[in-house]
Amino acid sequence: MTLYDGTTGASYQVKSVFVEAAVTRRLQALGINDGTCVKILNRKRQGAMIIQVRGTRLALGRHISSCIEVTELREKECAI
Amino acid sequence: MTESEKKIRVAFVGNPNCGKTTLFNAVTGSRLKVANWPGVTVEKKEGSAQYEDCSLTIVDTPGIYSLTCYTIEEKVTRQCVMDDEIDAVVNVVDASSLERNLYLTLQLLELGKPVILALNMMDIVSERGMEIDLHRLPELLGGIPVVPVSAAKRTGLGILLHAVVHHCEEGAVGPVLTYGKEIEEKITRLEEMMQAHYPQHSSIRWHALKLLENDEDVMNEHPISIENVVGRSYEKDIIQKKYAYIENIIREVLFHKEKQAASTDRIDRTLTHPFWGVPIFLLIMCFVFFLTFTVGDFLKGGFEMALGFLSAQVSSLLVSVRCAPWLISLIVEGIMAGVGGILTFIPNIVILFLALAILEDSGYMSRVAYVMDHIMGRAGLSGKAFLPMVLGFGCTVPAIMATRALETERDRRKTMLITPFMSCSARLPIYVLFSDMFFANCKVLAAFSMYAIGMIVAIVSALVIHGREKGKESADCLLIELPEYKRPNIRTIGIYVWTKLKDYLEKAGTTIFLASIIIWFVLNFGMHGMVEDAADSFGAMIGRSMMPLLAPAGLDMWQIAVALISGISAKEVVVSSFTVLFGVVNADSAAGMAAIVDRIHMQKPDFGPLNAYALMVFCLLYVPCAATIATVKKESGSWKFTGKMVVFQLLLAWCAATAVYQIGRVLF
Repeated sequence: MTLYDGTTGASYQVKSVFVEAAVTRRLQALGINDGTCVKILNRKRQGAMIIQVRGTRLALGRHISSCIEVTELREKECAI
Repeated sequence: MTESEKKIRVAFVGNPNCGKTTLFNAVTGSRLKVANWPGVTVEKKEGSAQYEDCSLTIVDTPGIYSLTCYTIEEKVTRQCVMDDEIDAVVNVVDASSLERNLYLTLQLLELGKPVILALNMMDIVSERGMEIDLHRLPELLGGIPVVPVSAAKRTGLGILLHAVVHHCEEGAVGPVLTYGKEIEEKITRLEEMMQAHYPQHSSIRWHALKLLENDEDVMNEHPISIENVVGRSYEKDIIQKKYAYIENIIREVLFHKEKQAASTDRIDRTLTHPFWGVPIFLLIMCFVFFLTFTVGDFLKGGFEMALGFLSAQVSSLLVSVRCAPWLISLIVEGIMAGVGGILTFIPNIVILFLALAILEDSGYMSRVAYVMDHIMGRAGLSGKAFLPMVLGFGCTVPAIMATRALETERDRRKTMLITPFMSCSARLPIYVLFSDMFFANCKVLAAFSMYAIGMIVAIVSALVIHGREKGKESADCLLIELPEYKRPNIRTIGIYVWTKLKDYLEKAGTTIFLASIIIWFVLNFGMHGMVEDAADSFGAMIGRSMMPLLAPAGLDMWQIAVALISGISAKEVVVSSFTVLFGVVNADSAAGMAAIVDRIHMQKPDFGPLNAYALMVFCLLYVPCAATIATVKKESGSWKFTGKMVVFQLLLAWCAATAVYQIGRVLF
């Protein structure tokens, strides 16, 4: 599944990122790379979402979130 | 060089919105703009500070997340940090999001320059109940000085400067983080090769790492053949190692990290609600403009009285010293009417900027990007493009500069094209004056509708441009950090409002002052020297030649043509021209307005609310001021683009004003 398919309040672990090289670099600098845990704080039905990663909040557009492959994490499996 | 002449150049570097500029202001006594959203600073600025016998030059840089180039500001910062003239780097870190901030820290340490860590926002950390081990943190960072500071409360500044001066003498620390045998061996080989090719180079290890990451800019700057060393890109491995190291640091030094800012999440649940987010944003903006018009008008009385009194005094003084009549006319009817007329709008302007300052400092700005993302997405822009547009409510010039934070040149140009449609503070006097004169019953509504029309025109223009760009499908690439909400800082807001007010006063003293003199001149002189009746003046001649063009929009008065042409210098000049054109000293008072309306009706008896509304629409949409045109040229680097923009805005303004007038005539 991709992060875009995620639901509000759930936590996910990033498996891989398939997006343009420039955006990948940006995501890496913001702390999103393979293995990172993220939590969806808020989202619009078809569009952007707010996630929590490494103690900060980021707003991600649909294009980016649908290029981030994730697996769902159970409660408390990963401290964010 | 003696001890007393010691000079150090220091760069303040850090993530966006970590407080670099606040710290810079505190250390150097400068008054640069700060706010609570990432990307406020887009240019590097210099200031100076003194510590004992050492004079420091401090360079404030735009915030960056890493030393890889992505946007224009990041390139500015990277170039600045790499510059050999920089003796030391102060890495400003937001202690409340230490984990993310340390990524840049590790990169800076690899540069081989002395790095001092300024741990900002420690007050927030302790407020939340988190704790940072200040002994272990420097140990894990190779022994660099780590200084807790509070830029807002101005604590720890002396210690920071002390650390800078001393650490500069000691020099940089060695590598903090090792990447394992395979990568380290390659680094060593690359370092040797770099040393042979570029013996003067100061950041050999960093360059070697960038070569392993296949960084294009670095390869172009210092080309060496690396094929037999670097078989593949090691970027991923290097990044993973860095984050693994950071996670280790966080485990050791940060305690109670589960204490997140619950209040921010709570506020966000309402303000970024999937459905209510947009209506709430519009309501907030309505409230801002409502305050601007009502409270501003309420405060205006005092200004009007003072101006009336002053111009009467000056006039009688000039008569008593037997001043030449033309000079009295120039001073009272030209300068005082023009410049003074603009000064009476100060209360409205101050309230507007006060409200915008609070909005920017609260942390809501980034949320606007998120909230507006799907609307902007339809126009092929990311929600981030809406930030310059909101800034455009204040002044178009910094708004155009703020487009630097956008990722692609195409997005930048599109945003530059539509940002001038957002009503800036210079257009405010026009709305206030004309809605007061012609819409007595619904003046706030009439003025407010201008803001709405501006926003709609901006978004529709973007949609149309996007429709024409078929094939170049652009994706929704919104990516922005959302800072925590905080109580706006009084000092920050004071600096913001004062700077804007100073700009406004400066403009009144320069552009508007000059424009008023020129207008007075073209109105009082004709082919045969000074004229009795303004209708024989140069101004009337120029204006009359434009009248046929403006007739379809119901604006066929030569005075309006003159005011609109002069308004290109600055939009306030439209108002000051009116006051000079109609010889009214105090336009922004009941008597002054009645006089203007009288004189308009003498020229054009059927000039009513509809004509006034068409004029307001024209002023909203036509060419922004000269300063904006110059900024667009500078930022786009293209006269062709700038010229196209000006033509587009003129045509659009004419079409819209004509449509308003012609449709209105049928309806009413």
